[in-house]
Amino acid sequence: MLDVYVWFYTGAFLVIFGSIGTAIGPGVKDPLIRTINTEIPAIGVSLIFLTYNHTIALLTFIAATTIISMILLRAIVRLEEMGAEL
Amino acid sequence: MSASVLVPSVVSPVVVSLYLPAVFTAILAALIGLLAISNQKNDLHTLILTDIVGVGMLILVAAVGTDLAESLILPGLVVELAEIMAISEILMSREMRKLGKTVELIPLPLNMNMEIMDTAPTFIAILLIAYGAFLTGFTGGAVAGGGILFYVLSKMTRGVPTNTWEGIAGASGIAWCLWLVGFLIFFIAPNYWLLALFLGAFGVFIKVTFKVGLVGVMGREEFKREKE
Repeated sequence: MLDVYVWFYTGAFLVIFGSIGTAIGPGVKDPLIRTINTEIPAIGVSLIFLTYNHTIALLTFIAATTIISMILLRAIVRLEEMGAEL
Repeated sequence: MSASVLVPSVVSPVVVSLYLPAVFTAILAALIGLLAISNQKNDLHTLILTDIVGVGMLILVAAVGTDLAESLILPGLVVELAEIMAISEILMSREMRKLGKTVELIPLPLNMNMEIMDTAPTFIAILLIAYGAFLTGFTGGAVAGGGILFYVLSKMTRGVPTNTWEGIAGASGIAWCLWLVGFLIFFIAPNYWLLALFLGAFGVFIKVTFKVGLVGVMGREEFKREKE
């Protein structure tokens, strides 16, 4: 089996580079692309939780991050329908 | 690094060796998020970037690596969810007032008239409720409640009568009392810990299930009112 550290450092890499991608990545002027970029650090955090055996936290985090992206997408769609500048 | 001063012997050496990298990852991610927020003028972008800072702080809590970390992450997640929901609502109502325009509650075609919305929900709802009952506790309640929510939202037939609605609310309250009684038994009569455990697990399961189901019932009545 692979080492525990592999999962942890993959998670850390995904979190840091996903954060950079969300902050200054290509095309992030569009809020939709920024929201989708947020999923990359979320996967990284899931891997870190997996390393620490935080099962319940991992399950709840998956549910919570799905609901958060649904809320954000709904906000974006509603604001675009209103014609607000994004 | 020699962190042997404060670390109890029960903490595994893997967790101890991962502590510093985890803290550095968390602080770096949070700093990136905060720097991006400080350059941002649009409120919606700020809200999305708050998610990154939240992720960093979750790692900071998880780095403790014990059951304490797990029990602290759960309320953190719920608080983050509630906060993002509330701020997005405020943002939208402010924009609505500024522009003087209103948009429907959920901008999706909700009257989906498909064959599968008629036949599948019963089976999927039964499956989710059975799986939730098997899990018990808070997660099981959320799963089973999701089943009820799915059933209610996809079957847009006649509304549930008010009596049923109030009955469900009452059952939810009684289940919560079961949870409290189970908690009390742990301290008064520790010999009956198994009884207390099951009272607590099923009490919170029924409560969370009915609460999530009620959200569906309320939301459905909201949709019907808007359509008419």
